[in-house]
Amino acid sequence: MSPLDPRLDVLRGTPRPLPHNARTLSALTANPSCDRRVLLDASGIDKDALAAHLGAPPPLRESQLALDAGIAFERSVTAQGGAELVRLLRLTLGFTLPEVGYDDLKSVATDDDTSPQHLRHIRTRQLVLDAAQGKSGDHTLLDHPVLSLTVAGHPVHLEPDAVAFQHHGVFYVVEIKSFPVIDGQADETQVGWALVQAAAYVLALRELLADADLPPERVSDTVVLVNPLNFSRVPTATLCDARKKIKSLHRHLNQLRRIPELLDKLPAGTSLDLLLDRTGQPTRPRIELETVLTALPPHYTPKCREHCDLSLYCRQEARTQGRVELLGPEVCHDAAGIDTFTAALALTEGQLHPARDRADTVHALRHAQRVHQDFEAGIA
Amino acid sequence: MHEHLDALEKRMQQLQHAMRQALEQQDDDQVNALRQELRRTQNAYDALFSPVEAPAPSHRTPEALAPASSVERQLGGPTAREQVRQVLALLTVPAAPQLLSQVHQAFFFHALNTARLATLRRDEERSFRATPDRRSFYICPALACDRFSPVRALLALSTWPLEQRLVGPLTARVNFLTSALRLADAAEQLPGTWPMPVQKLMLYYNRNIPGCPDTRGQVDLDALREAAAAELAVHADDDADTRADASQHALATLDAAGQIFGTPLHDTKRQRRVS
Repeated sequence: MSPLDPRLDVLRGTPRPLPHNARTLSALTANPSCDRRVLLDASGIDKDALAAHLGAPPPLRESQLALDAGIAFERSVTAQGGAELVRLLRLTLGFTLPEVGYDDLKSVATDDDTSPQHLRHIRTRQLVLDAAQGKSGDHTLLDHPVLSLTVAGHPVHLEPDAVAFQHHGVFYVVEIKSFPVIDGQADETQVGWALVQAAAYVLALRELLADADLPPERVSDTVVLVNPLNFSRVPTATLCDARKKIKSLHRHLNQLRRIPELLDKLPAGTSLDLLLDRTGQPTRPRIELETVLTALPPHYTPKCREHCDLSLYCRQEARTQGRVELLGPEVCHDAAGIDTFTAALALTEGQLHPARDRADTVHALRHAQRVHQDFEAGIA
Repeated sequence: MHEHLDALEKRMQQLQHAMRQALEQQDDDQVNALRQELRRTQNAYDALFSPVEAPAPSHRTPEALAPASSVERQLGGPTAREQVRQVLALLTVPAAPQLLSQVHQAFFFHALNTARLATLRRDEERSFRATPDRRSFYICPALACDRFSPVRALLALSTWPLEQRLVGPLTARVNFLTSALRLADAAEQLPGTWPMPVQKLMLYYNRNIPGCPDTRGQVDLDALREAAAAELAVHADDDADTRADASQHALATLDAAGQIFGTPLHDTKRQRRVS
């Protein structure tokens, strides 16, 4: 138990904490300067429930149909001892004919569809170490292993699609995604997200090896990305260099050490507990929650909508306050130091005299306003 | 043994023929009586049947299968249990519900309802534990070599020797290659152009077995068999050794139920489901 736990428990209230997963970890790299998100995630607060109670609409989510199609594709790749995956690993990484050992880690010692994560982690650890120490040459493919990564002092269970072990001693993380590779090209944003997720698995696998005094470098920086080929459902594999993403995620995870500082800034007893009644309905007055949230400064960007359940609440808040962040990081950067639309307009229209270091920015704003006025006059 | 099976097969054909006539005459009582008689005969056939002695479904042509399945469909179709048995007898290796469904669709004309298979394996275990050996065969899970625990989503037949139902690290690949050989034999028996599900299934094997020529949508069965046998030779000995060792150990340590349904981790929820 971390010494911070009691303080995070107070912030969360009575519900059980939601654990991190690969998606929430990858979201950390997308907007690391959002203190609100860092604290909400660290204390395991259900952001979806919080947003719903605050009346904010949930962000758009992937349809159930798309999720089911993704699961079906993943199953087709790992079916029959990973027959498709074995072919792809032979093609891309030169796996040899005898390297076909397959272990299904979705369940351990039972024919139930899934086993508790801690059991699966124990079994994964045993198989990974057996392979790494050369005790058994038959563990080539681990299907849905469960790894553990320490995040802000807490172990977080992560579940990669597969881990492949090559006999000369290198582990590869395999990520199966249902977005297609068309004519050799895939959607860059989607690939980026997949690689950040894979980076979390690489770090977790390295942590496992390091704990057993084995060299963590034996986990490759190269990630095997498996996608449908063109418009078919035939899988194809691409080797992706995830070095930058791994470094970036590692850096962001280390930054989570600033949680004590963030907690220190909060008034004692600050809590976001929804005070659920017996029927599971929240009873906490919204106004109280909104007051608490103002003490947790957000850093809203339009991209938050891709990965944060609370994003539409933060957007509404930024609109009400007239914050420049609404227009995206490029505009924030250009408007350096001018935080609100009101201040920007006052400076542009001359109601407010700019400080010396803002003179250039205000000059640019006035120029933009003239161009805009000319444009409007031209249209008229 | 064979003459008994022949007699029963003949009797079943007569009954099926009679049922069709009764259906045409819309004589429901007669259909029901014949159906019960057919079930009794089928049970007797099952009791005598073993995969080694009886011809596998792969040797039956669609024409031979069609009359039976059309009558079965009119009568509500064969049970999921019987459908699984047919496919497993064809494959001769433990298989996942998805593969069972694909093979059934390809060689027995319609897909299986995979959702029913999860409850099927529990029903089988419950039945065995209530009255052991009442049925001539049980649909059971494959067993892991290291702990003899049931393996998730891999079904087998209790009539197979234990060694055939055990799964080690290499077994998944060995089973994949073995099923390729069996299905290639079955596909060869099909006359004319293959139906789409057969084509799809054989292309899947063709794509994933090294050494199979890529012939743009066509599968050369001889080349497929040769390639599968060549890779099988690489893994078969190691896999057989692992399974034989495990089998000896299991036979010495497990009771009859354990040898069929394995020894899962103690789980009270699971025990409730099967008792």
